[in-house]
Amino acid sequence: MEKVTKKYSPIMNFLRTPTPTLIGIYVVMLLLFSLGSENFLTLQNMRGIFNNFAVFGIMAAGITVVMIGGGFDLSVGSAAGLAGIVSSVLLMKGIEIYTPYVFIIAVLIGCLVGLINGLIITKVGINPIITTLGTLAIIRGVCYFWADLNPRVYNLFIQNLGRIYIGGIFPITTLYIIVAFAILALIFKFTRFGRDLFTIGGNETLARLAGIPVDRIKIISYMISGFFAAIAGLLLISQLGSGRPEYGTGAELEVLTIVVLGGVVVGGGRGNLLGVFIALVIIQTISNGMVLIDLPVFLRMVVKGALLVLVIAIDAIRSRRHLQLY
Amino acid sequence: MAENGPVGISKKRHIRINNTAILFIILTVLFAISSYVGRPFFFSKLNLIPMINNLSFIGIVAAVLTMVMVTGEIDFSIGGNIGLTACLTALLLEKGLPGWLVVVIALAAGAAMGAFNGMLVTGVGVNSIIATIGTMFIWRGIGYTLTNGESILAMNPVIDFIGRGFIFKVIPFPIVILVIIFVIAYVVMDHSKWGRKIYAVGSNPLASFLSGINVKKIKFISFLLCGITASLGGLVLTSLTAVGMPQHGQGLELLIISAIILGGTALGGGRGSILGTLAGVFILSVLYNFLTIMNIYYFYMQIVQGTVLILVVSAYEIRQLMIKKRV
Repeated sequence: MEKVTKKYSPIMNFLRTPTPTLIGIYVVMLLLFSLGSENFLTLQNMRGIFNNFAVFGIMAAGITVVMIGGGFDLSVGSAAGLAGIVSSVLLMKGIEIYTPYVFIIAVLIGCLVGLINGLIITKVGINPIITTLGTLAIIRGVCYFWADLNPRVYNLFIQNLGRIYIGGIFPITTLYIIVAFAILALIFKFTRFGRDLFTIGGNETLARLAGIPVDRIKIISYMISGFFAAIAGLLLISQLGSGRPEYGTGAELEVLTIVVLGGVVVGGGRGNLLGVFIALVIIQTISNGMVLIDLPVFLRMVVKGALLVLVIAIDAIRSRRHLQLY
Repeated sequence: MAENGPVGISKKRHIRINNTAILFIILTVLFAISSYVGRPFFFSKLNLIPMINNLSFIGIVAAVLTMVMVTGEIDFSIGGNIGLTACLTALLLEKGLPGWLVVVIALAAGAAMGAFNGMLVTGVGVNSIIATIGTMFIWRGIGYTLTNGESILAMNPVIDFIGRGFIFKVIPFPIVILVIIFVIAYVVMDHSKWGRKIYAVGSNPLASFLSGINVKKIKFISFLLCGITASLGGLVLTSLTAVGMPQHGQGLELLIISAIILGGTALGGGRGSILGTLAGVFILSVLYNFLTIMNIYYFYMQIVQGTVLILVVSAYEIRQLMIKKRV
């Protein structure tokens, strides 16, 4: 039986998340991959890995905020798709509006999606999973309004957004993720909003009784998630060079896997951004490594699912303080 | 969650029955509208039989998933289960095994998948959302790996009969399976000790445990049964399409869970009914059929589905609030 540590220690807290288990598995896989393929541990490959996870990383930042507050957001993939296709339509020949306006509109779309989610969840009181499941379908349907236009993105500024490497090595998208995570970490640690968010995730009734404006903070957290989803949508059209209505389909499960493996607890109140970042790097490296050692396409799905189940199961066994009776 | 009251109090039961009644009224109105607007086609044999088959296939899976959801857990892996069962069935038939043996093996595989989920959730203590999202990937991935991503023809008298057979030459066999499963599920959930225990576990696991109910056993068996019926659904789908392919059942989990939630089952557990689920399945199927007849672009149907889901659940919540205020 584990003793309760009286003093709060960040290291102990980190050791209690699933991230250490994940790192252990990662080391084994890293060995396997570098033995299996000489191209794995090259600068070229690492550069690619880091540039590829931009979209998921940005979305993960948003979902982390929502999940720490005890919520759930499945609509990020669709929100990213909507922001992406609308901005690429606005950039089409004949419309071509001033580039900063595109950013503003995309971000507004994301925040609007978040606001709608938040209002339904807090004011009507529907379970967040159901609400965002509904908005996921609705927003994806709305994306198809522009399906026939098939817009390409020729705007250089937008193209460069997700394609530049600083000094030829360091992808600028990784910089975005680091900045986003750092800002969020500071918000979590030093602002009232951040502390309130953790309180709400830990015990909503308590937070309400303590006078925290629960509804407002939850709505803001969903808007933050929508905001990041919109940025992810812009990165998608930047990296892929066109806008398609199906962009971002299924991203929610991918991102959810990353966030959960990063130690964010479903139900809220616990989680840190460092863990999410580590999980992001690890999951993406493993996806890449499986391609390089030529694992059959279909087996990769099994590995990914098994990884999720294994890590979470080990975490569940490890964190069991007392015998679970029910 | 204030609505998690004990089951059996007359008022709660009263509300539940009323909700179901409202659902059946909605269904009747929807049915009337679609049969009027889609006049020549809606009642034709070419439209009705595929609709019934489709509906039965969804309903077979939804019935027992309702049970799992009433205990307060969820199973996202049903879609993957259907895909894997379809692949397994087709592969075994290709090997030349007799039809009845294939059916038995497929159901056993479903039971194994359900048991694995149940063990993860009850034995290891993993959150069921995460556990079943993981196993969803695993089942579907195994399906893809077994068939190498190809579709395999599945023709066999027994398998053909499951999905495309007729009893007395008029009643499609899938609806017979549906009726049998719903009758059993209804009796179990509403008129047996076991059903009461399921509601009790979903409402308050600690209280149920303290009063001597084996909470883990109840949850485990719900998952096990859910695995079996999901693979039964997979068999029906394989038979309907005469092919086993790993893409079978992709995205189906969301449709089925939507139907169950439409039927009034709460995600937190403790609330829900088999009749409500039946109504939910019918409503979604008739709605989709109606939209198809009206020639609405497939992707716009998603908008309708999402809106219906949110509106109906909002209606439940608002009703609940009003009742609470009155008390």
